[in-house]
Amino acid sequence: MSVLEVKNLTHTYGGNTPFVNDAVKGVSFTAEKGEIIGIIGHTGSGKSTLVQHLNGLLKPTSGEILLDGVNIWENPKEIRKVRSKVGLVFQYPEYQLFEETVFKDIAFGPKNMGLTGKELEKRVVDTCNMIGVKPEYFEKSPFDLSGGEKRRVAIAGVMAMNPEVIVFDEPTAGLDPKGREDVTEIIANYRRCTGATVIIISHSMEDMAVIADKLLVMNKGSLQMFGTVEEVFKNGDALREIGLNVPIVTRVFYELKKAGVPVPDNVFTVESAVKVLEKLRDGDGNA
Amino acid sequence: MLRDITFGQYYEGRSVVHKTDPRVKILLLILIIVFIFIAENAFSLGFAAVMIIITAIISRVPFGMYLKNMKAILPVLIFTGIINLFYGDGGKVLLSFWKLSVTTDGVYRAIFMAVRITMLIFVSSALTYTTTPNDLTDAIESLLSPLKFIGLKSAVHTLAMMMTIALRFIPTLIEEAEKIMNAQKARGADLENGRLKERVKALIPVLIPLLISSVRRAYELAEAMECRCYNGGEGRTRMKQMHMSARDFWALAFAISVCGGIITLNIFF
Amino acid sequence: MDEVMSNIIEVKNVTYEYTDEENRFTAVKDLSLDIERGSFTVILGHNGSGKSTLAKMLNGLNKPTRGDVFVDGINTKAEETEIEVKRKVGMVFQNPDNQIIASIVEEDVAFGPENLGIPPLEIRRRVDNALEAVDMSDFKKSTPHHLSGGQKQRIAIAGMIAMEPECLVLDEPTAMLDPKGRAEIISTLLRLNREKGMTVVLITHYMEEAENADRVIVMNDGEIIADDKPKVIFSDVKMLKDVGLDVPQTAELLYKLKSNGFKVDTHALSIKEAAEQIIKALGTSYTDSEEK
Repeated sequence: MSVLEVKNLTHTYGGNTPFVNDAVKGVSFTAEKGEIIGIIGHTGSGKSTLVQHLNGLLKPTSGEILLDGVNIWENPKEIRKVRSKVGLVFQYPEYQLFEETVFKDIAFGPKNMGLTGKELEKRVVDTCNMIGVKPEYFEKSPFDLSGGEKRRVAIAGVMAMNPEVIVFDEPTAGLDPKGREDVTEIIANYRRCTGATVIIISHSMEDMAVIADKLLVMNKGSLQMFGTVEEVFKNGDALREIGLNVPIVTRVFYELKKAGVPVPDNVFTVESAVKVLEKLRDGDGNA
Repeated sequence: MLRDITFGQYYEGRSVVHKTDPRVKILLLILIIVFIFIAENAFSLGFAAVMIIITAIISRVPFGMYLKNMKAILPVLIFTGIINLFYGDGGKVLLSFWKLSVTTDGVYRAIFMAVRITMLIFVSSALTYTTTPNDLTDAIESLLSPLKFIGLKSAVHTLAMMMTIALRFIPTLIEEAEKIMNAQKARGADLENGRLKERVKALIPVLIPLLISSVRRAYELAEAMECRCYNGGEGRTRMKQMHMSARDFWALAFAISVCGGIITLNIFF
Repeated sequence: MDEVMSNIIEVKNVTYEYTDEENRFTAVKDLSLDIERGSFTVILGHNGSGKSTLAKMLNGLNKPTRGDVFVDGINTKAEETEIEVKRKVGMVFQNPDNQIIASIVEEDVAFGPENLGIPPLEIRRRVDNALEAVDMSDFKKSTPHHLSGGQKQRIAIAGMIAMEPECLVLDEPTAMLDPKGRAEIISTLLRLNREKGMTVVLITHYMEEAENADRVIVMNDGEIIADDKPKVIFSDVKMLKDVGLDVPQTAELLYKLKSNGFKVDTHALSIKEAAEQIIKALGTSYTDSEEK
């Protein structure tokens, strides 16, 4: 059974104010356990609105969201329970840090779920171990950390709730390459340790090609494509039509193909590109 | 929720009301407010209401925008209405319990008060929808400028600058507060339920990040202003020069005749 | 006598130290640098390499702890010319929201010239020109709050242009933008440089933004570790990766191919160039079929 099922989700922002946009129209998709799904699309394509429905921060105008087969809005009073099952890490999450110490800040989520005492402490320590927040940081003020470290602590704050689905809105925005690598590793590690489903909003096709299993393409509030990375990136023309593109390395391979080099059209990462080209060189082009 | 607060949100347009000198608009607003409270019978108040509605119509701002501001103020409206219900001290007693009684006079008072507040919201909205926040602050600076003769020149400029920045950052901070609230809700924070004390406590995770980010913004803004050669009000010029034109005198004439109408109707009915 | 100097900015043996109660941290170490008039210079460096500290010294916002910075011959330390220096070197920062002062686009652009005490009609002309230069004339009456990040950042640039500076320094102006916004800013800067002859100093950690620059400077640990034409800098992918910089995927691919024994030239940056390099390295059989 799918962990998460979104059925015909529509959200229109209320009122006739002139500032309305970023709506979502009739989006349906399912997420299986342990999958990493990348959501790509332009700013204002409805990505952020879509993900805020997954943990019940926004209520659909119509359509429904099933978590483990149950409509999350079946009992609106229980919506907070949904939020611990579907974690949501916002853009620039370090701006939500507020506690005196790193430990207390990470404990905020699990505490809201009702954990106390030893259980709470264990949860925080386990999360920190998993994602590499060192014990010497526990009593530090989160505001004394560097930008990358703050981001790590903020992400830990959501992971400490042990969500079975965790959603990230541009988790690497504003970080330098080292910081981006760290965050990507934390995410991959969380999936490995917990088997959770991961959903990531990103602008980087290159990053998505490396980390995601499936891609969901949003355009003007509608779901344009949903499939494996290969299925989506093979539709380069359709992506370009809505102003998106395939990874740069894939575009290099388009050029190779145009020039008559017999390369396959499912090369989306640098690693696979190097492998393919080596084979081509060593095997006299009969790869 | 927070999105509904549109006070101080300019609605772009080219109507006569938009084009009137903001200084004139502010003076007229004050004048009209005074007269809304001077109007004491149904005729004069009704007359004022009709005139205000006409102003709202010629401003070409969608009526829904005005009503939206009304919605925000509705609790206050109901509260004052109820208080006034019990304040009547004459007329027929309609209802009484414990030490309170509602009289016909009280009902009139309540209705009058409600109508006055509604009108107040309408005229002030007409000002804020048709005048950019910057024009407003410029106008206030200009209206306060006589103060510089008593040695308050830099104070007037500082006040105007503070207002400009406040107006600029209100929507940004509202949006940011919303984001932080959502982020903390996503971490299981309960911002909606519980008793007052609990709810106030629940706001800490929202207020601290908001405060920290505001301080950071203020610091960065100060640097940006320095880079743009800001050096206080000394020697500063303005791109927009405010001129009184014929239109403004017509506006003035219109307002004065409304006031005159109110007084006349007050006397004759 | 009034000969125009060829360098708009001269940085001479500059050191900058941050000090608080316990710590002393040297952000920029004995650094010298000249910025030529009309040039497009990109300064690359990771977070904490000292590039932002250096940027803020170029218009006198930061005063060097040791050494001097001259803008058009004026020492930035001189108090009486502080405003003049800031007018000559316009500065744009990372977060567009925190540098826009007014609630209407054109009024914000007017802020700088107003501070300079320029007559109203002249301000009007400059504001219109500046908005035209960043292609934002259609938005002059808009509220900045409702614009996209890239548009807001272009307004910030217009705000500087309206002061008619000699040079623009931009401190990571694209870090908070989406790909579309980033492209808008880079093409705006290139146009300003090529068409209006504006001197541009762009500070970033995205290597591909340096592709069209005249000169690329790489900073690490408060020092300049490389200073050359983009092609030369980019051929040293290893060095760029070592100092924690973003490398475009084409460079990364060529670099990996090279370390796997492919005979490729790693400074090819565009997709076409990269493909050509690969075809060349694969052997002659493919180069022939290129024209079909």
